[in-house]
Amino acid sequence: MDKQNGNDRIGAILVVGGGIGGIQAALDLAESGYYVYLVEKSPSIGGVMAQLDKTFPTCDCSICILSPKLVECGRHPNIKLITYSEVLTVEGQPGHFRAVILKHARSVNESLCTGCGICQEKCPWSTPSEFEQGLGKRKAIYVPYAQAIPNMPVIDRKLCAYFLKGTCRACVKFCPRGAIDLDQVDQTIEVNVGAVIISIGFDEFDPASLFNYGYRKYPNVVTSIEFERILSASGPFSGELVRLSDRKPPKRIAWLQCVGSRDESLGYPYCSSACCTYAIKQAIVAKEHTPVELEETIFFMDMRTQGKDFDRFYERAKREGVAFVRAKVYEVQEAGSTGNLIVKYLGENDKLTTYECDMVVLSVGFHPSRESIVLAKKLGIQLNPYGFCYTDMFSPVETSRPGFFVAGVYQGPKDIPETVMQANGAAGRASVILAPARNTLTKKKKYSMEKDIQGEKPRIGVFVCHCGINIGGVVNVAEVAEYARTLSDVVYVEDNLYTCSQDTQEKIKATIREHNLNRIVVASCSPRTHEPLFQETIREAGLNRYLFEMANIRDQCSWVHRDRPEEATQKAKALVGGSIAKARLISPLREITIPVVPKGLVIGGGIAGMTAALELANQGFECFLIEKTDKLGGNVRRVHYTLDGSDVSTFLNETIAKVEQNELIHVYKNAAIQEVSGYVGNFKSRVLVKDEDIVLEHGVIIVATGGNEYHASEYLYGKSDRLITQLELEEKLAAGTLNGKKFKNILMIQCVGSRTEERPYCSKLCCAQAVKNAMIIMEMNPSANIYILYKDLRTYGFKEEIYQKARKMGVIFIRYTDENKPEVIHDNVSIKVKVLDEVLGEDVLIEPDLVVLSCGIVPNEDSKALAKTLRVTLNEDGFFLEAHVKLRPVDFATDGIFMAGLAHSPKPMEESIAQALAAAGRAAIPLAKGFVSVEPIVSHVDEAACIGCGLCASICPFAAIRLVSRDGVHKAETIAASCKGCGLCAASCPQLAITMGHFRSEELTAQIETLATA
Amino acid sequence: MTVVLNELDTNFKYDVANEPGGENIKLCFACGLCTASCPVADIDQKFNPRRIIRMVLLGMRKEVLSSDTIWFCIQCYSCQAHCPQNVDFADIMKALRSIAVREEHVAPSFVEKVKEIDVLCQKLRHEMVSTVIDSRSKGWEGELSKLAVDAVKRL
Repeated sequence: MDKQNGNDRIGAILVVGGGIGGIQAALDLAESGYYVYLVEKSPSIGGVMAQLDKTFPTCDCSICILSPKLVECGRHPNIKLITYSEVLTVEGQPGHFRAVILKHARSVNESLCTGCGICQEKCPWSTPSEFEQGLGKRKAIYVPYAQAIPNMPVIDRKLCAYFLKGTCRACVKFCPRGAIDLDQVDQTIEVNVGAVIISIGFDEFDPASLFNYGYRKYPNVVTSIEFERILSASGPFSGELVRLSDRKPPKRIAWLQCVGSRDESLGYPYCSSACCTYAIKQAIVAKEHTPVELEETIFFMDMRTQGKDFDRFYERAKREGVAFVRAKVYEVQEAGSTGNLIVKYLGENDKLTTYECDMVVLSVGFHPSRESIVLAKKLGIQLNPYGFCYTDMFSPVETSRPGFFVAGVYQGPKDIPETVMQANGAAGRASVILAPARNTLTKKKKYSMEKDIQGEKPRIGVFVCHCGINIGGVVNVAEVAEYARTLSDVVYVEDNLYTCSQDTQEKIKATIREHNLNRIVVASCSPRTHEPLFQETIREAGLNRYLFEMANIRDQCSWVHRDRPEEATQKAKALVGGSIAKARLISPLREITIPVVPKGLVIGGGIAGMTAALELANQGFECFLIEKTDKLGGNVRRVHYTLDGSDVSTFLNETIAKVEQNELIHVYKNAAIQEVSGYVGNFKSRVLVKDEDIVLEHGVIIVATGGNEYHASEYLYGKSDRLITQLELEEKLAAGTLNGKKFKNILMIQCVGSRTEERPYCSKLCCAQAVKNAMIIMEMNPSANIYILYKDLRTYGFKEEIYQKARKMGVIFIRYTDENKPEVIHDNVSIKVKVLDEVLGEDVLIEPDLVVLSCGIVPNEDSKALAKTLRVTLNEDGFFLEAHVKLRPVDFATDGIFMAGLAHSPKPMEESIAQALAAAGRAAIPLAKGFVSVEPIVSHVDEAACIGCGLCASICPFAAIRLVSRDGVHKAETIAASCKGCGLCAASCPQLAITMGHFRSEELTAQIETLATA
Repeated sequence: MTVVLNELDTNFKYDVANEPGGENIKLCFACGLCTASCPVADIDQKFNPRRIIRMVLLGMRKEVLSSDTIWFCIQCYSCQAHCPQNVDFADIMKALRSIAVREEHVAPSFVEKVKEIDVLCQKLRHEMVSTVIDSRSKGWEGELSKLAVDAVKRL
């Protein structure tokens, strides 16, 4: 590590790649006291996520959840967007890098362009749009997509007539600000940074070389990313599901999995991890985009829906009528001149089957782009054999070059939540190096003076959102807007395609100024996700944040009344009317800032807990590590082998030593949490350590309580010492008590206690664990016969390699189904296992010397109690529930509490480590900031009316209101920072002496009356 | 009928893997593409490349080497063209045939006869296609079986 004086380190970071990974890392770092240069090679940030219609498994609209982050990146004072640019070189050492960046000439003057779009309208030259995957067009002067940030075009000089022939210049003629600069040249700039994060994503596999699938030959064969654009409301067909040959809605669609993945013959032998789940998502979502009854079939080899809640998603698809056929399609042929396609595959009972459909979607895999391989060479970063960034098993976000970190698919195929976790983790790691240089280069956001609206009559502006087709596809948005115009005190109404996009924020601000608005109502989606965005926008326009109301006409209207559009429209009007009624009466409120105790509490001393504690300590924060047993290490103590042959035991012991020797980490063993009170920045925990009660004060909490191996009752476990679990197997192999040579026939059974009715989730690591252990035994005894009985072999991502290795070594894989589970027959002499091998078409009987059960992972038995203590939630399966599955995978909904490891969901060790880095990275942000802002939605006591009865204090679930003595008389007093604004106190007060900020009785009454009479 | 795996010859797969052409047999993950592509499987459901591979991997030495099925493959290479694991089934067929001869499940004269049949089939096809080729633009309507009989007569 760099030994130079911390004062010399540069408090800035270069983030290369403006997809969700780069965006998240940039936001985390900008909030932690660093200046961020975010470099993106295309004209705007957003990456692949901006191209998706919906995201799995919640089917959230992708742009809806991405847009607030795009806007935030665009306006954050600590983030500098450098788009249409490439990194050329980076020289130096961690703490002091000099990066040379090539800024391609946009041909547009950044300081003059307002993003009005006239140049694009007037440009006469068009070409297939890359963003639309060629299905739509763009002009020579273009912005890649409507919600792009920066909302500023570039000129494609390879298409522009001026640059080709010296003619046209329509853009120059029509630009009202003279912002076109045709003389602009490419520029190289230098930036000085302390660390670099690479998050450059991937390219999709191009299936044109697969002649047997007909891509580019038959117009109705499309790739999955093309299908996303077809589904997207902002895509070439406005979200109407039609096929390309005749623009008619398809009635039967087939998805072909593993196109360009798990394919040795094409040179892409690894698994792309996300395609199974994305195909299921597309099948579920496609039904919403067409009035026609859809028949959908997914052709797959193994269904790899191992992520959190993904197996439930798979079951949901089956319930909704999606057919799943386990067969790799041989060929797609055209059916005459209808444009229909015939899919040929090995069907049931091993019969050659053909299936005619209207459209085929090829689920293409991910591979590194050519440019990324070139960039890696320039930057001196080591790649793995597949061209992805190489990382060590135990350091999942560190590249081979010190000071360079990686996040996202560039490190290996993965989905959005894992990308976000790696981005959180990479930002945390960068922060560790640069912590001494925090806040040295940051810029403070300057707001204009807040307007004093006292005495003014309400002048309400209403913005009604279409949200693509999410709202507009059900509710008649124009009608709702028209209705709003008729209401008193409403002086301005407009409807938008996406009210949350950057260009609309600018519009809202301009409109506030132009029409002198002093209250804003947005009718769109959930305030839970988008209220802060709009509040920030109106503040930038000089209005107090609390002069804002939001009507949820999506989650509470269009989404739940899809089949009743007329009634939904009336309901939307009522909801908007209600919000307007409240808006008339709301008043400006002040935010409170409270200092943060710069310490963390980590609950759980396993690998996740220890990694998180070390990371917090590395960033300079003191933390308390609570472990309920008398040893650190958790489940990893029972793991001895990894997929790549790394030495787990040494790594574990080194980690334990680091933790115990770290001055900033206080370890409490034999400790149990009794009580936790407080709120983000100011928690107080009472911990029972052996027999002693200690009280700890800290600013954040990280839950890393782990999980346990499922205790099997199936398959006669416990009835013989020849039936053991994978962990028991590993222990015996490592201890030498199991002589691999003695066992000739070994049988492993997958999914024991996972993917069952009681536990319908995947334990994610067991397939790879079984394969790994099988290979270890084969190495000890090459003449062993190992049979692995599985439902779906889930060696996702690069783990596919060991599945192949195991088969090469002679391990036999036999699939079983829930209908035909393996039967274990145990007489006193031997164990026999019978199972139907569908590939053979017969039952097979094995008499193994050893049966190994791959038992799943169950939540820690203390999770329920801990959830109650922390006042957080568990999901259906008993694992802790995160704030948002995709974009906040380590945050709890309650501020200041984070999670990592098995406590969140089953996962292999390297993913627990990545998640722990992420949780620590996120937890460090409020600690680094030093303060938290408390929303003024808190209780207010009118002391004159208060009679000191104490009902409020006894009823408050958060201990946020208490009785105090005022000249010998009892009065209630609010503890603002603990108050969650639930309103129980106000509702219970017999004297009506308590009001809630922003939810005063008169405001709520007005809203309810309007709703009731609508 | 239950197949008892302990009674099978689990070395068979290694022997096939050591035979030229059979190197990649263990890589098969039973995706079914080979059988779906096979023109012989199309006319004879009992000919199932995927199943043949599985029988080898489980160790059904005698059943495979003495079976009829390994002689029905016409070596069109459709299976091999798109197998995602480069299992090279057509080459495995050749390897199995070699072993079958070597382990005396078939007489060398039988193998010769099959080779002669292959040559004759090519000649037959050539004859039949030549007959219909003159009407290629107008399309030929007639009985395939008569065409075959006539071609045989000419050969």
